[in-house]
Parts: sequence; structure tokens; C-alpha cells
Amino acid sequence: MRLAMLLVAGALAGWLYDQALLGAFLAALACLGWQLFNLFRLDAWLHTGRLEAFPDGSGVWPPVFARIEYMREKARRRRRRWRQLLRELRVSAGAFPDGGVLLNARFEIVNCNTAAERLLSLKKLRDRGQRIDNLLRHPDFVAYVSAGDFSRSVELPAPAGGDTWISCFMIPYGLEQRLLLVRDITGTVRLERTRRDFVANASHELRTPLTVIAGYLDALADDPGAPDAWQAPLAEMRSQSVRMTHLLDDLLELSRLESAAPCGLDQVVDIGAMLQRARSEALALPEHPRVVEATIGSTAGLFGNQVELHSVVSNLVSNAVRYTPSEGSISISWNVDATGGHLAVADTGIGIADEDIPRVTERFFRTDRGRLRQAAGTGLGLAIVKHCLRRHDGELEIHSSPGKGSTFICHFPPHRVALT
Amino acid sequence: METEKFSHHISRRFNEELEHVRSEVLRMGGMVQQHLDVAIQAIVAADSELGLRIAAEDHRVNRMEVAIDEECTRILATRSPTAADLRLVIAVIKTITDLERIGDEAQKIATLASRLTVDAHADDEHRQVQVMAGQVQEMLRNALDAFSRVDAEDALAVVEGDRLVDEQYDMIARRCITLMMEDPRSIRRFLDVTWVARALERIGDHAKNISEYVIYLVHGKDIRHVGIDAVKEKIGLG
Repeated sequence: MRLAMLLVAGALAGWLYDQALLGAFLAALACLGWQLFNLFRLDAWLHTGRLEAFPDGSGVWPPVFARIEYMREKARRRRRRWRQLLRELRVSAGAFPDGGVLLNARFEIVNCNTAAERLLSLKKLRDRGQRIDNLLRHPDFVAYVSAGDFSRSVELPAPAGGDTWISCFMIPYGLEQRLLLVRDITGTVRLERTRRDFVANASHELRTPLTVIAGYLDALADDPGAPDAWQAPLAEMRSQSVRMTHLLDDLLELSRLESAAPCGLDQVVDIGAMLQRARSEALALPEHPRVVEATIGSTAGLFGNQVELHSVVSNLVSNAVRYTPSEGSISISWNVDATGGHLAVADTGIGIADEDIPRVTERFFRTDRGRLRQAAGTGLGLAIVKHCLRRHDGELEIHSSPGKGSTFICHFPPHRVALT
Repeated sequence: METEKFSHHISRRFNEELEHVRSEVLRMGGMVQQHLDVAIQAIVAADSELGLRIAAEDHRVNRMEVAIDEECTRILATRSPTAADLRLVIAVIKTITDLERIGDEAQKIATLASRLTVDAHADDEHRQVQVMAGQVQEMLRNALDAFSRVDAEDALAVVEGDRLVDEQYDMIARRCITLMMEDPRSIRRFLDVTWVARALERIGDHAKNISEYVIYLVHGKDIRHVGIDAVKEKIGLG
């Protein structure tokens, strides 16, 4: 409308000088110049973004300017909201007591929170792009990362030294991204150590008075002048003191096993001979199942500690004897295949209920049913077996059905098997 | 940051090789660090079994050294690296030698630990060894961190820190000599303590060497056998 009027005005002015077309052309040119000028102003304003430079203009321009300004304001507000949200997130991540490190597909650090910086001695800005296992060089952690099995966590001393222990857990998320969770477990480790020390010390301290008591009981029982009425209580007291000695020995053994590192690979133990011996020991017991058979499927031995492996075998066999009636049978076997060595003790005894199987290796764990008091051992046998196996990189597998019998299988990895 | 520094290669494979050899060195470093930790723990906790175990594990470090060495030779032969890449390969070759020696010293400490623990412990000099061990552990850790971060300033701090360890060693040695003169029956034991301190001091020196290779890697300047001030001047610091 305005353009048309301008053109007509130009044409009229030109017509006065007999140049109507030229006039219209000049008017159009001026109009174009005006528009270009406004466009230029818009561009400059968008560049600086200053509010006071907000151009007013005329014609079609003010609404355009206003709309752009409106959109920009909205975007600004949204950005502010995002920034606020991000800041809150970052602050809450920083307040998180556990460390978190974001890693990319190549295990390079993308970001981490304050706790992670503290626990792993990282510097967020400096260490971005560093591979995590280059900075956290503990062999256990490196093995954890390269194995790629993130279903479990790994515990290691904090890189800054001192007595701090951390537990690391890798959580894969998104596309090839990982979150490394780091937790300070110094307290737990220390508590565990205190518990272990306490059990060891207490058992050790209890042993001396017990020896004295047992000595006097022996002397009293052998004394011909003792009244007959004392004989039964004396016998009971003696058997209980023997039991208590066994208990303390087992507790001490257990705490030693717990604190010790994995066994070396320098000694070879002949498993076949050990099983044969365990069989004859079982048959020599006053009450034993009718059939005890040993199947030695391999002449291979195991790298490890003779005494500990013997306690594995003897604990498993004596358990089997204890819970198997005399008409039942026990079979002991030793086999080696590509997955390693397998030592199995199977019986046809009372068996274990399914829900109890995960718990039988706990200390002093007792199943409720089918327990005769005289059958009771110290309650530490399977715990000792478990820890001995751990020291030999082995695992205990238990199959059982109540009333039918149980099978205990010890699996040893191939590097423990000494082929002959 | 190293990815920027070494990423100009047309061959991505070459890049990966360099990165791989770098992380192998750090893996070996981690192993050596752990051996040192356990050896020191064996002394502090008077646990002879721990000490013997580390003594048996040293061969793994040696095997790694050979493997990394071969890898470096292969890179030199097939890729003919230049400039920063060449410096990296050379620094790696030198670093692994020092790491291997640190492993040997840790093994030595572990062996001595199994002998020291037979005696009663927790004396004054025992505590001093412990302090020194802490310093050396930190030095080694910082040196490897500097290698990992390619950070010359951190490396320089390690080089400077070596002086403290040397002083500590002198102090322990002096003390041991005094005690030996007082009671000749304890000579054997104090000799062992001196040997442990000596091994720690050597580890400090090796950690210092590793830091010097890091400075060489970053600045291309050899700063061995040069005073600390001259070093700073050379690499334009301080």
C-alpha cells in the first residue's frame, strides 16, 4: 500500500519533468535502500543483542523486530532455566557422597564429581580425556576394566595411598558409555579387620585357660579315689572341653585363612593319594556308611598348600560321614578337564534344603532338621572349606535334595592344575 | 591431552599403537607400584609371608618389560617415528628399564622383610623407614601420574622431591651406624634396615629418572645431571 503510494508519488514527480518511469524507478530504489537499511539494522542488532539498540523502524519492520525480540526473550528465559537446572544437578552430584566418573567408550574420563576427585585424586579439568586405567593403575582395577565383566565390583586401596580403601563399580549406560561409581569402604574394611583380629585374639586367649581345665579334668577322671557319682559328669565335661578345643582351633584356622593372601604356586599336592587316605580314614571311624568309594580319574595334582587342601577334603568327607546313615554310601572323585580340576564328595545322606544351600558355608550356620547333638561338629567346617578354596582360586558348588543326599564339588581353575 | 598431541597421523593404526604402548607402560607401573606397596606392608605389618609372595611375582614385571621393549623396537623399525612420537618411544624404552629396576628393589625389600620380621620390631628406626617408604611411594605415584598426564610441571616437582628422600636416607644410615656402634650384636639387623633404606632411596632415584623422561618427552630437552635451577631455566619455568 505504502509502496504503491510511493511509486505513484515518484511517477507523478517524474511526470512533471516528463520522466514518469525514471521517477518511479528512483522511488523504488529509495524504497529498496530503506528496506536494506532496516535489514542492516536488524542484522547489527542481532549481532550485539543489546536491548537499547532495539530498532523501531516503520512499515513491516516493527512487528518483525518485536517478534524476534519476543522469541529471543523466550529462548533467554529457557536457557536461564536450563542453566539453573544444570547448576542444581551439578551441585547435587557434588554433594553425593559417592564418587562418580563418566567414561566414554574408550574408558576416557568425560566428567567426574567432587567425591571422585577426592577419592581417586583426579583433577576434573586436567584429566578430561585421560584413560581411567592410566591413572588408577592398581592391577586389580586394570584387570577389572580389561575383563569387561561389570556385574561385580572391585575393591582396592585408594591411589592417594594412606589407609583408604575404595570399591569401584562400573555401570554401562547409553551407547558405549560408562559410569564408574566409587565408594569409600575404609570403615567397612577396618571393621572387618577388627572383627577378624578380635576373633583371633579371643580364641587365642581362651585356649590357655581351657588347657588348664582340660588338664585337671583328665587328672580327676584318672583319680581312682573319685566318687562314682562324678564319673558321668566328668566324662561329659571332658568331651565338652575337647569340643571347645576343636572349636577354638577351627576359629583360629579360619581367621588365619581369612587374612592370608592366595596360596603360592610352588608346591604340588597329590590329590589322588590324599583322597585314598581320606577314604581309609573314613572307613576307620567307628560309625561309617557301608560303602565309601574313591574314584581317581586323573593323576594330576594341584598347586597349593598340602595342609589346607587336606582340611578341605577331610572336612567334606567328615561332613558326609556325619550326615549319612550306615546303610548309605559316599563317593569321592577327582577329575581334570579343560575347565580345570574338579574334586567331588557325594553322599546319600539327609541332604540340605534348597533355601539353606547358600547359607551352609556361613559360620555356625545350622539347619533345623535332622540334627542329632552328637553328630554336631564345630559348625565351622564348611566355612574353612570355602576360605581354603578361595586361597586356591577355587569355588564350591553344592547340589542337594533333602532325604536323597548332597554333592559338594570343588572347582579349581586350570592354572592351579599340575599335570604330570 | 595426549590424544591431541599424537593425533596428527594419517595412519590411525599408528596412533593406536602408540597409545597402547603408553598404557602398557602404565599397566606395568601399576604392577610395580603394587609390589612396592605390598613389600612395604610386609615390613610395616611384619608379615613374612606377604614378602615372599612378592618376591615370587617379580618375573611378571620382567616379562612385561621384554614385551614392551619388543613392541617399541617394532614401532621404531616399521613406523620410523619422528619428533614427539620418537621422543615418546624413547621415553617408554627408558621408563620400563627404571620400572623393572624398581621392581627388583621392591623384591629386595620384600626378601629383607621376611628376615627382619623374625626379630622384634616397631623401633624408632622402623618408623623412620616407614616415613621414608611413604615418601618414596608418593614419588613413584606422582612420577607415573606425570607420565600419564604428560605433565612436565608435576614431573619437575618429583625431581625436586628426590632431595628429601636422599636426606631421609642419610638420616637413617647415620642412626643405624650409631646404634651399631652401641651394640655390636645388632649389626646384622641394622645392616638389613640400612639395606631397606638403601633400596628405597634407589627407588626414589628411579622415580626421578622417570620424571626426567617425562620432561624430555614434553620439552625435548635432556635434563639429566643438570642442577634444578638450570633445568627450570632450560624448560622455561620458574
